[in-house]
Amino acid sequence: MSGYSYEHMFVFSSARPTLPRDLAASLRPLTLAKSRMMPLGEPWKALVPGGGLRRGSTVVVEAAPGLGGLSLALSLLTASSANGHWAGVVGVDDPGVVAMAELGVDLRRVLFVPRPRGAWAESAADLLDGVDLLVVRPPSRAAHGVARKLMDRVRERGTVLIVLSESGAAWPLPAELSFVVTDSRWATSSRLEARYLSVRIAGRGEAGRAREHVVVLPNRRGQAAAT
Amino acid sequence: MERLLALWVEALSSEEPDGSTLRDSLTLLDALSLLCPFSELVRLGLYILPLRGPSRFFGGEEAVMKMVRETVRDVTGHEVLLGVADGVFCAELAAREQRVVAPGATDVFRRAQPLEALGRKDLATTCRRLGLYTLGSFADLEVARVGERFNKHALELHRVARGELGELVGQRDLRLAVRLGRLRGEREPHHEQLGLFGPRGAGDERAFAAAHRVRRRLGADALLVASLRGGRVPEDRATLVPWGSPLVEEGTKAPWPGQIRSPSPATTLAHPVAVRLVDQHDTPVLMGARGMLSGEPATLLLTHYARRTVLWHAGPWPLVERWWVLGRRRAYLQVVLALGEAVLLVAESGRWWLVGIYD
Repeated sequence: MSGYSYEHMFVFSSARPTLPRDLAASLRPLTLAKSRMMPLGEPWKALVPGGGLRRGSTVVVEAAPGLGGLSLALSLLTASSANGHWAGVVGVDDPGVVAMAELGVDLRRVLFVPRPRGAWAESAADLLDGVDLLVVRPPSRAAHGVARKLMDRVRERGTVLIVLSESGAAWPLPAELSFVVTDSRWATSSRLEARYLSVRIAGRGEAGRAREHVVVLPNRRGQAAAT
Repeated sequence: MERLLALWVEALSSEEPDGSTLRDSLTLLDALSLLCPFSELVRLGLYILPLRGPSRFFGGEEAVMKMVRETVRDVTGHEVLLGVADGVFCAELAAREQRVVAPGATDVFRRAQPLEALGRKDLATTCRRLGLYTLGSFADLEVARVGERFNKHALELHRVARGELGELVGQRDLRLAVRLGRLRGEREPHHEQLGLFGPRGAGDERAFAAAHRVRRRLGADALLVASLRGGRVPEDRATLVPWGSPLVEEGTKAPWPGQIRSPSPATTLAHPVAVRLVDQHDTPVLMGARGMLSGEPATLLLTHYARRTVLWHAGPWPLVERWWVLGRRRAYLQVVLALGEAVLLVAESGRWWLVGIYD
C-alpha cells in the first residue's frame, strides 16, 4: 500500500501537472495496471469525481423500477470490460445481453447469476474473489450485517461493488459513490431513439458534492453518451 | 417479370478510398434484409427488393416504401430515390424519376424512355439518324434489321427494349457479392464462449475459480455466460447458457433474437409474459392479417389488475422470417408507458407477449 496515497493524490488532484501527450500514452498501461481506479467510459469519466471507480469501493445506483437503473449500472462496466477486466452480474433475472453488447461490455468476460435463489449475498461473495466489478441487484432490502460483510470483502479484494437498488429498497450503508436517477424521458421518432436520464452523482467528502447531470442512456446505438 | 422496388442512394454509388462506402452499403443491405430477406445490392448505390411479399405483409406498397425510406435515413443518413416497376432495368429508371409505375404499365413506361437509357451513346446516336428516339421505336425494329445494322451488343439491348430481358448487361456489379461476402466474413465473430478458447491469463483463472464456487453452491445451471454465435451482426445470436455447457446448437432460437434495431432492452425475458393491449374502449388491439394494428393502443394490461396507460407506440415490425412463405407471423411493438418506462412487445398467434423492458 506504500504507493497508495501518492496515486490517490495524483488521481484526484485537479491541478496535476500535464505530461507531454506521447509520454502520457507510453505510461498509460503501467499506471493502469497499478491503478486503484477502474476506468469508466463515456459519459461517466467526465462526471464522476476522479474519473473512475476506486477499487475496493461500493457504488450504489438508485432508480425507480423501469427507469434506467439497470442500464446505468451496466454502463459502468464498459471501459473496464474493454480493458480485459472480468465482471459479474448477480440477481438480474433476465439480463439483456444484446443491450450489454451495444453498451460496449465484452460479454466474454461476464459471469451471470440471474437467479441466486435465496443466496444472493453468498453468490456475490463467491464472485467477488474472481471478478473486478460486480453488479448486484438484491431482491429486497439488504440486512445491515450482510451489507457490511460484503463491503468489507470488497475492500479486502479490491473489487468494485455496484449495487442496483430499485423500488425504494435502499442500501443500508453509505457508499463511496452514488448515482440516483431522478428523471427519465424517452425521445422518440418512428421508434425509441434515446433516453435522457437525469442522474444525481454524489461521492464522499469534499470532492463528492452531489451534482445533477443529464446523460443519454441508451442512445440510438444502445450506448451511454453525454448530452 | 417481377415487380420490384428499386432504391438509388447516390451517396453510396461511388467508392471512397477508406472503404466506407462498401461498409455502409453492407450495413444498409443488412437493414433492408430485415424488411425483406430477398433484398439485393445490384451495384453500389442501387438496391432492389421484390415488392409483392412485403407489401402484402406491411399493408401496401406505400407502407413498404415509407419503411424503406426511413430505414435508409436511419441507417445511412442519406437520401434515397425510390421507384417501382417490373424488372431491374425499369425499376432503376423508375427510381431515378422517383416514380411508381402502376402494375401492368411497365411496358408503356419503358417504351417512352429515351434511347440514352440503354447507356450506349453510339447506339443512341445511330438510332437518332434513323429517326428513332425512344426505346419503343427501337423495340419495334425487326430483330433481323437490328442484327444487320448494329453490332451483337445491340441485339441484347434490343431484347431489353422489348421487355424480353429484365436487366442490362453491366447493370449488375458481379464482383460486388464476393467483396461483400469477404467483408462480412471479416466482421463475423468465430464461435466463442467466454474466452474459454482464448489465451488464459491470471484474471481468467481467478474468474473460473469463482465460477466453480458459485456452481458448487447453487447448482450447474445457476452460473450463466453469454454465448456469441456467428450471425449477421455480432449481437445477433447472443444468448445465456450455463457455464461449461457445450455450445448451443444452431437452430435453437433465442428468446431474444436481437433483430430489432438498437437500443435493445436491458431486460429480455427468457420466458415472455402474456399481456393484453386494448384501445380506449377496452377493445383488444390485435395484429391484423396485413401486419397492421386493429386499433390504437391505449392501455397495456400486465395482469388482471395492473393497467398502464400507453403514451406512445411504434411498430409493428416483422420478425425476420420468410413469413409469407412459412405462414408464421410475429411482429414487435415498442411501447412507452405512463410513468416513462418503455417495453417491447411481440405479437404472435393473436396474442401479445412482453419480451423486453428498457430498464
